[in-house]
Amino acid sequence: MQKVTLNHAWLAHERARHPGLRYYVAAMMLLGLAACQAVPVAKPLTPQESAALKPSDAKIATLYDQSCRNCHTLRDSGAPLAGDRTLWDVRWAKGMPVLMQNAIGGYNKMPAGGQCVACTAKDYEALIRFMAGHEGEPGAGTS
Amino acid sequence: MISRRSLLIGTGVVGAGVVGLAERRRRLDHEPPALATVNGEGNMLWQNWSGVEHAYPASRAAPKSADEVAALLKASKAPIRAVGAGHSFTGLVPTDGTLMTLDAMSGVVSHDAATNQATVYAGTRLFDLGPALAKIGQEMVNLPDINKQSLAGGLSTGTHGTGKGIRALHGEVIGFQLATPRGDVLNCDASHHPEIFNAARVGLGAFGILTQVTLQNRALKRIHKVSTIRPREEIMEDWPNLQMRHRNVEFLVFPFTHYGVTIASDETDLPIKPRGPDRDADAVMQFKQLRDVFEFAPWLRFKVADSQIGTMPPEEMVDEGWKLLSNERPIRFKEMEYHLPLDAQLPALREVIATIEKHRPDVFFPIEARVIAPDDAWLSPFYQRECGSIAVHAYYKDDHSFLYELIEPIFRRHGGRPHWGKLNSLGAKDFAALYPRWADAMAVRQSIDPDGRMLNPYLRKVMLDG
Repeated sequence: MQKVTLNHAWLAHERARHPGLRYYVAAMMLLGLAACQAVPVAKPLTPQESAALKPSDAKIATLYDQSCRNCHTLRDSGAPLAGDRTLWDVRWAKGMPVLMQNAIGGYNKMPAGGQCVACTAKDYEALIRFMAGHEGEPGAGTS
Repeated sequence: MISRRSLLIGTGVVGAGVVGLAERRRRLDHEPPALATVNGEGNMLWQNWSGVEHAYPASRAAPKSADEVAALLKASKAPIRAVGAGHSFTGLVPTDGTLMTLDAMSGVVSHDAATNQATVYAGTRLFDLGPALAKIGQEMVNLPDINKQSLAGGLSTGTHGTGKGIRALHGEVIGFQLATPRGDVLNCDASHHPEIFNAARVGLGAFGILTQVTLQNRALKRIHKVSTIRPREEIMEDWPNLQMRHRNVEFLVFPFTHYGVTIASDETDLPIKPRGPDRDADAVMQFKQLRDVFEFAPWLRFKVADSQIGTMPPEEMVDEGWKLLSNERPIRFKEMEYHLPLDAQLPALREVIATIEKHRPDVFFPIEARVIAPDDAWLSPFYQRECGSIAVHAYYKDDHSFLYELIEPIFRRHGGRPHWGKLNSLGAKDFAALYPRWADAMAVRQSIDPDGRMLNPYLRKVMLDG
């Protein structure tokens, strides 16, 4: 989980300015706690566990099967295993624009376009979300 | 006598030098400049695996049938180029017209268990073809070092594996279906459209697009693969014998060391010993580290490398061939490979090694040597000639100009024909001199595609005016 630090002097000053802030902060902490409980702790996947995962959308699943799967379910490929949040969270934190640039333009061991010629920009985004373990979370990963 | 003070100073100077060289390399070690993912016309970037070629195609197509391919070839914006995995290093694919993938045309169409023949969709990736053929009890006896390619891409570029008497992938093609730029779908073999069968078996995607291929396979076998580190001179002396002793055999020389590795595979009944974690990528990066630190002290680089390499044990594995013959190659690189008359292979290789070790201390990738049997496809680099191949690589972040300036002249002098998918500087006139049936093949191409709809600028240089 991301570590959050608060500037206490700033918080005291803001509380004095906005009496309702304490309720807002309390609500956000509760929401944060609920979110922490809802998101399972990331654990490493085996290549077999990774290979068993499929995107829920049929078109994305086909594109994934034709291209991404061939590296992102093999340990020796050097690619982060699909669905393994222990490998993806640090990448996800870079934000979707960076991940899109790296996917389409290539980066390190990642060949440009991920060898998916039929992929549109939206397809790449959906594939990244799936592999990063954030499928169906619109808005996440953007910066 | 060396004083303690001078020794300390000397050690400090050497240490600072090592740190300085490593720091220099760290500064040079950066990603190639990022290209815009979309161009001014809103077309998305395509780039090949190594990153040396790119394009912004106006349209992309993923047909699902031969008829659909044919219709697209007739009506789509030219140049129309097909792409598989984009593993070719040459400019075969870039187009500002139509880029087509056969990814939706994959799998086995039919097979004959009695003859070990199988008809497969041409878009099948080799890593999918292995298990698909294994399910019907068949295997391709020859596979390339990397198996990400589509079958159509591999065939169209003369992609090969290694082994005395074993032909390249296209050498086992007994028929294919071709969609042509006129919108026809032709079934070609030795009896039907034989001139197209001979010209387009290794066709560079210039004759149309392969949609189905019939392969002569063999019964599925288990192989025993052994990789053995040996002194490189010993390997080269033993190379003729190694070819006779093993079904599939190759060797790699590690530049700036006195060692190499032989990789030999033979049919076996031994129990399965699966492939372990990949060690090759780590080894390559260790060679890179040695280069980074000892780039300007080759004698020290030899000494340190030899002390580490010489103690490495053999690596063994037993499994079905499709699982072992190809490898994951996660480290991207750029490559030049020429196919030479077999007798010229070792003399050329010795020249290549000497040239690199004299002039290019920045090179650290192993140099690969293989053997391929002759075949009769008109544009096959192995046309009526048994060949010994030599492949020289450069890290994808490194300068590769030496391949053209220093290595290619050696290959050319020894009568080499370049791999169609790997870096070379040749044009139509050069190829006409290297291929006895070049004019016949070009006449077939002209009759099939008189308007040059399949030709991008690179292929125009190769086939028309280069």
